[in-house]
Amino acid sequence: MALSSLGQKKIGDIPLQSLVLILAVVVVIPWIMPNNYWIRIAGNAGLWIMLSLGLNVVAGFAGLLDLGYVAFYAIGGYTYALLCSGHWNIHLPFWLVVPICALAASACGWGLGFTSLRVSGDYLAIVTLGFAEIVRLLLLNLDRPINITGGPNGLPDLDFAHIFGFTFRTVTQYYYLVMFFALLVILASYRLKRSRLGRGWEALREDELAADAMGVNTTYMKLLAFGIGASIAGGAGAVFASWQGGVFPNNFGFSQLVTVYCMLILGGVGNIWGVILAAIILSILPEALREYGAFRMIGYGLLLVVLMALRPQGILGEISLRPKRKKKEVEEPETLKAAEELFYGDGSHDFVKPLKKGKLNKDRVLLELKDLTMIFGGLHAVDRLSLKVYEGEILSIIGPNGAGKTTVFNLITGIYPPTSGHIIFDGKEITGLKPHKVVEKGVARTFQTLRLFTNMTVLENAMVAQHCRTKSGLFSILFRLPGFLKEEERIERVAKENLGLFGARLTGFRYKQKAINLSYANRRRLEIARALATDSRLILLDEPSAGMNPKETEEITRFIRNLRDKYGYTFIIIEHKLNVVRTISDRVIALDYGKKIAEGSYDEVADNEYVVQAYLGRKKGRV
Amino acid sequence: MGKIRDWFSYLSHFVYAEKLESMDQILQQIPQQLINGVTVGGVYALIAIGYTMVYGILFMLNFAHGEVYMIGGFTGWWVLHLLTNSSGGLLLNGFIVIILMILFAMALTGALGMGIERFAYRPLRNAPRMNLLLSALGVTIVLRNLVLNLQGAKIRFFHTSALIPKSIQVFHIGGTVISFMRLLVIGVSIGLMAILTWFVKETKMGKAMRATAQDTEAATFMGIDVNRIILLTFLIGSALGGAAGALVGLLFTQVDYYVGYVAGLKGFTAAVLGGIGSIPGAMVGGFILGIVESLATTLISSTYKDVVSFIILILVLLIRPWGILGEKAPEKV
Repeated sequence: MALSSLGQKKIGDIPLQSLVLILAVVVVIPWIMPNNYWIRIAGNAGLWIMLSLGLNVVAGFAGLLDLGYVAFYAIGGYTYALLCSGHWNIHLPFWLVVPICALAASACGWGLGFTSLRVSGDYLAIVTLGFAEIVRLLLLNLDRPINITGGPNGLPDLDFAHIFGFTFRTVTQYYYLVMFFALLVILASYRLKRSRLGRGWEALREDELAADAMGVNTTYMKLLAFGIGASIAGGAGAVFASWQGGVFPNNFGFSQLVTVYCMLILGGVGNIWGVILAAIILSILPEALREYGAFRMIGYGLLLVVLMALRPQGILGEISLRPKRKKKEVEEPETLKAAEELFYGDGSHDFVKPLKKGKLNKDRVLLELKDLTMIFGGLHAVDRLSLKVYEGEILSIIGPNGAGKTTVFNLITGIYPPTSGHIIFDGKEITGLKPHKVVEKGVARTFQTLRLFTNMTVLENAMVAQHCRTKSGLFSILFRLPGFLKEEERIERVAKENLGLFGARLTGFRYKQKAINLSYANRRRLEIARALATDSRLILLDEPSAGMNPKETEEITRFIRNLRDKYGYTFIIIEHKLNVVRTISDRVIALDYGKKIAEGSYDEVADNEYVVQAYLGRKKGRV
Repeated sequence: MGKIRDWFSYLSHFVYAEKLESMDQILQQIPQQLINGVTVGGVYALIAIGYTMVYGILFMLNFAHGEVYMIGGFTGWWVLHLLTNSSGGLLLNGFIVIILMILFAMALTGALGMGIERFAYRPLRNAPRMNLLLSALGVTIVLRNLVLNLQGAKIRFFHTSALIPKSIQVFHIGGTVISFMRLLVIGVSIGLMAILTWFVKETKMGKAMRATAQDTEAATFMGIDVNRIILLTFLIGSALGGAAGALVGLLFTQVDYYVGYVAGLKGFTAAVLGGIGSIPGAMVGGFILGIVESLATTLISSTYKDVVSFIILILVLLIRPWGILGEKAPEKV
């Protein structure tokens, strides 16, 4: 048992041989460098690695364009300066001050994140830039009336780092200190990326709304990204201040921000090894090109423009060290493979979803809408809609375009809070809950216009769905506690079980394929698998067969029916193809202008006078 | 009323300890500050229009716009410098020099704006927004450091004293002083805005521009050359920003390579305040920001003048991100 667990691939950690290699390089560098000048540059590279990996969490993983990042570096540096110098005559020990600096910066990060929660994209960039400017002005001007920051002169004569009786003085000693912290940051960001948090951030970056609808608490995840990024910058600031022996306003300016961003872009946003490599290159290159120093910033600017146009994925993007094996396409569009597999469970997959028989149970109401109303401006998109959905039922909603069908889904899943009315799921009120809370209760959905996390792999897409079912926090991820490892295993198993429902369409080599490379029909399938992987009981499908050919439509129809029969799901389906509606629905309701105009079996609804009118218009002469 | 006065004077003592002014002195300054505010506001409005026009069509924040403004300022300085002889006299009539300064600034920045669009933004039109913004950041850095390398970090002074006859340089109305330059800046900025409004409302090109802003794809199908319209948008927006740069040079008589940063943020704040995407909004936002800032300088302190506008920006974004004249658009799912 012990042996087998040793032999297992460690989930989501840096491979041991890479770690050993990095350590060896780090240790050897001071011996092979010709002089202290180059050791200092190597140490600087370590600082830049820390800074750019910190930014990588905010801008790379979570996709938040934080232009105030360098302010946190400043906050860390100045906190160190205040707590470890003769300025106020406070001399705290180094091991205590670095965490304090990280925490101080982190607190500011949460603060900035909190004030800018409601803005995104360009607005976020400008607000954070404004924040950095405010911090810069404060640093420059807070020497009056009380001297806090030393104004333009900064704060010189800081303490050396002093740990357990050992004082760091020489360049080589500081080099090792910096590298120690840089390695910690590398390890931490590697582990974060391959965890539920990392996937949550990536989902947030790809599509905020879909991430929310799949159970990712986007508000919290944004704040967490700001906080972690800021704490890394703060820690780096403290180490930097200690090494330089002083802090000055121009250490934390626009040019530092630009440099960090260049490293991030050159390395490929989100790509840890790429960013590290870029940080090293951009630390050494300016030294090699010293005589052209005046043009350095112009070079950085051009680098940004040119890279964005020609190679936005960075130097290492999509380059694999190992040669790619050619994969065989196994798509067989002429057979009803996925549906057949469901019937017979061919056992070709390691992960078989456990069966749970389901059928319509009229005694149990799973979802109830009471007088649900949504008004946009003056338009009643949904008008006093009342509805019961029974456990194990397949309910279809039909109606002409603009009848309010998708709005009903948006209301149930919490994307809009309703103007009035109640939504009760499984006996509990869920009205007005945020989308990620609704998923947690057990309601998942797909989108009419596909909203996959297009740059994540098929497997990752399904794994994101487990976000709200898992709890591993920062601590257990960073220290890889047993609880975290168990959860990761479970996440992967559930994701594979649900992808396995679609047979080879979404399994095997497709696990590692990016969602953007899937065919249209497979994307629809992946959306369904992703919704199923949230472990929800009620699934809302918004036009599941849109854009599919008749064969595929037939397949997906049987598939949905099977999901109910074999696995006990309840469905509400918006569908325009009436043959689909006829085949699978237990009950149909028709909406027009936000009102329910008919309800009953397919035949009853199809023959209903109002429904015919809604679709075809009124006959002449009849009033 | 008395109470409010007491409170204000308490407040002004608190935040501006080294300059203990009585409330009456401050109140006396208000008409003067209003004039100053309208002047600066006109400039902010011109900058804001550039942001808002580009945002209206491409939904992107043209980060480099502040640098375009800065280059407009330098162009104005350069024209004035060329037309001034060694003894400080002018080679041409002062008013013609002013007109040339503004026209040259507009022409150069207009061309620059089109170049930026063509080479930095067009290749990224279908790329993620973050890439566009980073490319814009890159353009900002290039322009700023290009000027730094060509000009050095020193401040360039505009020798404006010879431009206008002594007799009309300053007007006194009551206790308020209005310089001719202020009137000129107000006049030119309002004039440019009037021309722009007419252009966008009445001409065929203006109509095409509005159509493109509403729906780029549909505009293409209606036979509008969208690329040309976008270039035109950058031309107009940048030229107005360049004019603002030259006007500020005339008003405050100096320019350096770093002015674009703060001016850009101010212009953006004005655009957001008025409702980004809306041209009248940018004008309204510019004037409001200018006036608020001038009053804040009197009541609080000039050291933190810029902080005041950042705080306004953040408050607007948090409370009413669609601005004064903008429309709230719900996210389509």
